[in-house]
Amino acid sequence: MSVIDVEHVEKVFRIPHEKRTTIFEALTGLLRPTDYETFPALRDVTFSVEEGEMLGIIGENGSGKSTLLKILAGIMRPTSGKVSVNRRMTPFLELGVGFNPDFTAIENIRTYATIMGLSKREINGKVDEILAFAGLETFRDAKLKNFSSGMQVRLAFSTAIQTNPEILLMDEVLAVGDMEFQQKCMDVLNRYRNEGVTIVFVSHDLGSVRRFCDRTLLLNHGEQVALGETDEVIDRYIYGRIAEEPVEIGDPVEEAPPAEEASSGNGRVKITGVTFLNKFGAESSRFNAFDPMTIRIFYSARERVVDPVFGIALYSERGEHLYGTNTELKDVSIEYITGEGHIDLQIDRIPMLAGRFLVTVAAHTHSGERYDWQDKAYSFDVIPTGRDAGLFDIPCLWRR
Amino acid sequence: MMFLDRMKTLYGYRNLIWTLAWGEFKQRYKNSVLGYFWSLLEPLLMLVVLYVVFSNLMRIQVEYYQLFLLLGIILWNFLSRATSMGLNAILGKPGMVQKIYFPREILVISSCITALLMSIFESLVFIAFMAVFQVPLSANLVYVPLILVLLFLVSLGLSLALAALNVFYRDVQFIWAVILQAGFFATPILYPVTIFPESLRDIFLLNPMAHIIISARDTIIYSTPAAAGSLLYAGIVSAITLIIGYIIFAHYEPRFAEEM
Repeated sequence: MSVIDVEHVEKVFRIPHEKRTTIFEALTGLLRPTDYETFPALRDVTFSVEEGEMLGIIGENGSGKSTLLKILAGIMRPTSGKVSVNRRMTPFLELGVGFNPDFTAIENIRTYATIMGLSKREINGKVDEILAFAGLETFRDAKLKNFSSGMQVRLAFSTAIQTNPEILLMDEVLAVGDMEFQQKCMDVLNRYRNEGVTIVFVSHDLGSVRRFCDRTLLLNHGEQVALGETDEVIDRYIYGRIAEEPVEIGDPVEEAPPAEEASSGNGRVKITGVTFLNKFGAESSRFNAFDPMTIRIFYSARERVVDPVFGIALYSERGEHLYGTNTELKDVSIEYITGEGHIDLQIDRIPMLAGRFLVTVAAHTHSGERYDWQDKAYSFDVIPTGRDAGLFDIPCLWRR
Repeated sequence: MMFLDRMKTLYGYRNLIWTLAWGEFKQRYKNSVLGYFWSLLEPLLMLVVLYVVFSNLMRIQVEYYQLFLLLGIILWNFLSRATSMGLNAILGKPGMVQKIYFPREILVISSCITALLMSIFESLVFIAFMAVFQVPLSANLVYVPLILVLLFLVSLGLSLALAALNVFYRDVQFIWAVILQAGFFATPILYPVTIFPESLRDIFLLNPMAHIIISARDTIIYSTPAAAGSLLYAGIVSAITLIIGYIIFAHYEPRFAEEM
C-alpha cells in the first residue's frame, strides 16, 4: 500500500526582475506589468512510496531535492500536480527548529518536542531520557546559549528522535556532527527502518543511500531522471546515461588542454587527451569504488616513433604519489606508433575507497627521454560504496 | 464545514499554541533584571504623564479619571501590542515557517495570546488602583469576559491580515505603526466621547475600539450594564474583521515559505 503519492508535481518559482516588497512599490508598479523569470524547480515528478519502504532521493545541488521534500512536508505547495500523504509525517529538515538560546535545556526540549508533535505527557516522561541520550544530564538548567554547537545539535537530535513518526522525511541532517554522532544517526535510522517506518531520505552521501534505501529517485534540474533499484539509479547518477553513447574508438575526446607548465617534453609524441571509461564503456569522471575502469590515453605522433613507453602515475588530491606504472614495467613493447591513436590501461577493480585522484600521463623513450609528460593534468572521483575508512581497500578478513 | 475542520485542527495544536505563547511571554521579561516590574511601570508612567497633562491642561471632568484613563490605556495597549507582535509573527520566525509544517495561523494566535498574558499582567496595576480608590464592584462585571473576547477577536483578525501582508509588503509595519499612533488619539482613551457634539460623536463611534473601551468602563468602573447596542456593534465588527483577516491570511499563506 502506498503511503505517499506524488502525481505530476511541478514547482515553478517566479523570480521578478524588480522585487516589489513595499505597498508603495506595488502601487506605483500597478500600471507596469511585472517582469519575471520563471525557474522550474521540479518538472513532472511522479512516484509513490510504499508503506515501510525507504526511498532515497539523490541529485546534484539545485536539482530540486529539497524543494521536493518541502512539498512533501507541506511547507510549500506545488504549482501543479497532486501530493497525498496518508500517514502522520515527521520532517527532519533541520534539527532544533524553534530553539531559543535564552532558554534552558529543559525548556528547549519541551518547546521543540511540542513542535515535533509530542504530547505533554509523552514529553514529561522522556525529558530525562533525552538528556541522557544527549549526554547532557548535568546541563539541565543551563541556558542554551552557553552550549557548544555540538551540544545543541545533540540535544536537538535526541529530542527529535523521540517522535514516533509513521513517515519520516530526512534532509542532510546526518551531514553534521562528528563520526560518533553520525554513527548514532545511522543507528537511529536503522531502528526506524526496522520498526517499519516509511522513510524518504535525501542525501549526497551515496554510501548511506546505497546501504539503506530500497529504491532511489534521481533528479536532475528538477526532472525525474530515474526511479528504481538503488544500485542501478546510483550507477546512472555516477556514470550518466548508461551505455547510450559509448565513446567511439579513435575519436580523441576534447579535454581541457593541460596547462603549459605542467606539460613538458620534446613533442615528438603528443598526448592529446585522457579519458576514463566506466564499466559500460562510457566516459565518466566519477566511479564507484571497486568498479572496473579503463584509462584511455590518446596520442598523436608527428612522425614514426619506434618503441615508445607510455606511463601513468596516480596521486591523491594532496599530491601523495600513490602508484605508478608504465608499459616497460609491464613488459609491453610497442613496436612503433604513427599518427593518431590511443592506448588503454585497464583496471579490473578500483581499490580506492573514496576521494579525488590526479593522474599524470607520460610518453618517453626507454632511456627516459621525454616525448610528453603531463603532470597531474587529469582527475577522477571515487564514490564510496562501503563504510571502510581510509584511502585504499585492503582485502582482508577478521578471524578468531 | 471547512471552518469547523480548521477549528478542530487548531484545537489539536493547542499544546503548541500555548507553549509558543508562554515561551514568548517568559522571554520578554527574562532579559532584564527588573523583568516583570518594568512591564508594570510602563502603563503607570504613561498614566502619570497623560493624567497630569489632560486633567490640568484640558480640564477634563470625569469621575475616577485615573481609572478611566488607565483602563483605556491597558485595553488599547493590548490591541497595539497584539497587532504589533502579530505583524511579525510569520516574518520573525523563518526557521519555523521554512523548515517545518503546522498551520501557520498558530504563530499569529500564539503571539496574540502572549500579548494577552502581558495585558493580564499589566491589569494588576489597574486592580490595585481599583482597590485604592475603593470603586464599588457590581454584577455588571459579568460583561467583562465577553468584552475581552471581542477585543481579542478584533486584534486577532487584524493580526492575521497584517502578518500575511507584512511578508509580502515590508512597509506594512511602518504604516501600521502610524495608524496605531493616530488610533490612540482618535479613540476615546484620553477623553469621554461626550465632549464632542452629537453629530461628530457618531463618527467616533464607528470605531469598534470605542465601543469596547466604553463598555469596559461602564461595567468595571461605573457599575452600569454595557449598552446592548455597543456590544452588538463591536461583536459584528469583530466577527467581520476576523473573517476578512482570515481570508487575507489564507490567500497569502501558501507562498509564505517561498517569500521569506
